[in-house]
Amino acid sequence: MTASPFAVDALRQASGAAPSSTGNGNISSSSSTQRPGPGSATLDLVEQMNEDEKKKYVKGKKLGEGTYANVYLGHARHDPSLLVAIKKIKVQKEYRDGMAPDAVRELTHLQELRHPNIISLLSAFSSKDQNLNLVLEFLPLGDLEMLIRDVDRVRYGAPDIKAWMGMLTRAVWFCHDNYVLHRDIKPNNLLIAADGEVKLADFGLARGFADPGQRMTANVITRWYRPPELLYGARHYSGAVDVWSVGTVFAELIIRTPYLPGDNDIEMVRLISRAIGTPTEDNWPGVTKLREYTIPIEVTPVADKATYMNRFGSVGPEGVDLLMRTLILDPRKRITAREMLEHKWWRTDPRPSRKEDLPRKSGGEEKVAADLKRRPGVVDEEGKAKVARKLDFGGALGGGK
Amino acid sequence: MSRKPIANARGPASGSTTSAALPGLSSDDMCPVCKTIRYLNKDMEFLIHPDCYHFMCSNCVNRIFNDGPNQCPYAGCHRTLRRKGFRTPFFGDLTVEREVDIRRRVAAVFNQHEEDFRTLRDYNNYLGMVEDLTFELVSGTDAQRSSAEAQLQQWEAEHKADIERNRKAGREADEASRRRIAAERDAARQRRIDAIKEAEEEKLERARTREAELDTLASAPEGQRPGGGVQLKRRVQVNRAVEAAAAATTNAAGVPGGGVAGAQPPMITKLSIQGLKEKRKPPAPEGPYDPFGGMDFVPSRYKLHDGLVHPDVDKYRFDLAHATGGYSFDDYRARAMFEAFAGLGVFIEDEKEVGSGLSASEVAAMSAGIAAVGDKMELD
Repeated sequence: MTASPFAVDALRQASGAAPSSTGNGNISSSSSTQRPGPGSATLDLVEQMNEDEKKKYVKGKKLGEGTYANVYLGHARHDPSLLVAIKKIKVQKEYRDGMAPDAVRELTHLQELRHPNIISLLSAFSSKDQNLNLVLEFLPLGDLEMLIRDVDRVRYGAPDIKAWMGMLTRAVWFCHDNYVLHRDIKPNNLLIAADGEVKLADFGLARGFADPGQRMTANVITRWYRPPELLYGARHYSGAVDVWSVGTVFAELIIRTPYLPGDNDIEMVRLISRAIGTPTEDNWPGVTKLREYTIPIEVTPVADKATYMNRFGSVGPEGVDLLMRTLILDPRKRITAREMLEHKWWRTDPRPSRKEDLPRKSGGEEKVAADLKRRPGVVDEEGKAKVARKLDFGGALGGGK
Repeated sequence: MSRKPIANARGPASGSTTSAALPGLSSDDMCPVCKTIRYLNKDMEFLIHPDCYHFMCSNCVNRIFNDGPNQCPYAGCHRTLRRKGFRTPFFGDLTVEREVDIRRRVAAVFNQHEEDFRTLRDYNNYLGMVEDLTFELVSGTDAQRSSAEAQLQQWEAEHKADIERNRKAGREADEASRRRIAAERDAARQRRIDAIKEAEEEKLERARTREAELDTLASAPEGQRPGGGVQLKRRVQVNRAVEAAAAATTNAAGVPGGGVAGAQPPMITKLSIQGLKEKRKPPAPEGPYDPFGGMDFVPSRYKLHDGLVHPDVDKYRFDLAHATGGYSFDDYRARAMFEAFAGLGVFIEDEKEVGSGLSASEVAAMSAGIAAVGDKMELD
């Protein structure tokens, strides 16, 4: 991993600096039409670098608005066909003195991680009002959740699931091998690039692995994908939390509905207990000592392979084996991301789909549109006008033989 | 094969198949081999063999070639022909017949599609090349012909797989378009029938209303008759005008349907798009699926051993909170080593050359740009 090609450090200084520094140049809160002329003397190097970064991109229409950030479509100034998504992080009232921690997390981790299955951060700059803008690659085909939910129009099979799981697991493995916990893996954080590649996004909850004795918050990961150790309030955990999320996503891909959709933490524990097994001292030594451990009302034994086969059999016995290992209650016994990739499921039939063959949501519409375009002869002629016409002697006269 | 060969008689020509020398074929001519004339044999049928295009009647063919391969009976033509190869020519002009055969053959070999080419120009060049080859085969000199023939055969041998693939794809496309056309034709027919039915119903309806109107007028009281008569006349006129207009519109309405139907068989633009100079690369044979995507992070500068201990770490090793939550001391050890060695072996000069980080030129551009910043900011 090398330093990213843009001046994030400089940026951090620029945007984290005290508001009083705005008087001297382009990073000011005045409207963008009224700017001091090329007063190069008033810009220090840091501001200059920020300006240069900012000038490389043109911001376009707004794609979405959230409480935390607005997302705009944009493109590179030198190449309008190079589309980017610009995530403009809103200034949050609680964090007047600096950047919001999730913004810092996203920035610090994304600028370090470069992998085909992780969304790439192309640049970052601050704009007026000290807003932080992250320039991310534009992933036009939506997310995995869209595909999972659209039961009527999107069909996929075991090879597609294997391909998606492969990409997801690689992304998680890459994070973990670089000592980063993602802590928010779920289908709608898995975006799909134009070529079908699935990319892990939203590093707003990510953090590096903790040192021994250092406490981490247990209040991470969207509830449905949260592992039992976090539900029980563990403060010292490992990559196993992400692996559990991967397992629940895996299950969701197969059954096309959230596997453990609990409304609250209590219900989550109950759902896990019922579907996978009740955590006990037998299957998870020490679990009763966890801070938020609740004594179960009824104890369900850990589900055996036959139970899983009933529900998830479509991925084959090897796939079910992998799924079971990702959903082991005791995080110490749970499979790691690296071990997942070493699992023999990847090498058994069927082979994962090639990424260009994966189902995509807009694909059907595109195809229909293309068909509609082609239908009347007139449209077809347009493209062929310059082509030398050639009579076909191949089939039309074939009766002569 | 309903077309009758057209009269275009020419005497039997000398042996070779050069286009100029090809004999024509005539329905009322006589067989050049046995001299039978149609007058004597009404059902006489001429056959040709695509090796030399010399025609003769079916009787001769049977007589000469029934016992196996034999020489062409034309004087000077020494080709050995077989019974199996004879067929009824489609065209009266055997020159055309031969050219069509050649073109058919070339087209079967050079069956690339426009999509196979990177640019339209490449494709057109390719078509040009194929046409040149075809022309040489059709009307070149003997030398040209044989060289073209050799080229064709060579190409065919070399690109067997491609040709086969294109052929298959073409057949599928044909099938699809045939189905589509059939479906469209059905739909058009349905539309036409509906339109006709509708028009008829309208007509009936109009007749009925007029009848009713006339009845009411006829049964009107006497006093209103004179004015009524005028009204009646006028109304009839109006009715007629309306009817004419309506008929016009129904006609007009009918026309689009008919037009669609008439224009129905949309040309299968199979008008052969083919050709190629540079070939689309076949998908690279895939190796076994690599779950790791070709990456590995085995540390190169150190080796991880079990049992690296440090008292600060060890005191947590048996801490229940760490163990139960799944905290991994192996991960910690690996990370500690990774961080200790991070940056070793990174040389800023190399980084600059590779281009990560600001390159020298970028720095220069930046300093040059310092003067130019200003009101160009579109982003906020």
